[in-house]
Amino acid sequence: MSLLHRGRWITLLGLALLAGVYVRALAFTPVERLQGPAQKIYYLHVPAAIWAETAMVLVGLGSIFYLFLKDRRLDRFAAASAEVGTVFAAIVLTTGPIWGKPIWGTWWTWDARLTSTLLLFFLYIGYLLLRGAVRDPALGARYAAVLGICGMCLVPFIHLSVYLFRTLHPQPIILKPSAPSLPGSMLATWLFSLGVFTLLYVGFVTQRYALSLLWEERNGA
Amino acid sequence: MPEVPQNAGYLVAAYVVTAVILLGYTFSLYRRSSKG
Repeated sequence: MSLLHRGRWITLLGLALLAGVYVRALAFTPVERLQGPAQKIYYLHVPAAIWAETAMVLVGLGSIFYLFLKDRRLDRFAAASAEVGTVFAAIVLTTGPIWGKPIWGTWWTWDARLTSTLLLFFLYIGYLLLRGAVRDPALGARYAAVLGICGMCLVPFIHLSVYLFRTLHPQPIILKPSAPSLPGSMLATWLFSLGVFTLLYVGFVTQRYALSLLWEERNGA
Repeated sequence: MPEVPQNAGYLVAAYVVTAVILLGYTFSLYRRSSKG
């Protein structure tokens, strides 16, 4: 089975399991008393945020190793991870305000967490535009690698922003030094969703990597 | 005891938007591979 088909199957499995996440979250996970049904947005928003940030860390690591080793596979992987990270960042930036409106009373506020996440999205867009704008692929890969490393440096700031600044955004209730403060059934749904988003990331990146390979073969790059 | 807020519409909107983005990207990858 080719890499492209393998990626496609992983993605399809991920999408099928995502339907399972929807059913479990909507029908078999209790409604939180203070926030109401809107709290269930959390099961999509946080896994998407984790993968939007992890994807950028992987872009940065791939870029660092690419600059040292000049291995095109690393650059191809970084480009694939950046595109998929953009998709997950788009989910974060749409589901977040949809949750914020009923809970905070506003769609958006310029606090540290939201603003730095928006900056992450713009860095992703900039990364993809830069790759397309430079004619020489090797030069474009080098410029993009530098931007990817800058993006990676932003990720710890995004995670710690809720501790460093006074923000409206809630502090982590799972990814924190102490034990997760979620009831068991809610935590199980969240972990299920995180697993599905992981599968989707792997499926998307595999497909996108295979597309780069095909493109390079066709263009003799 | 406070009443549970009635905000299921926002939940539905977020779930639909997520599905649209993920399915849209899946379709975009499929189209690009078919063209190639």
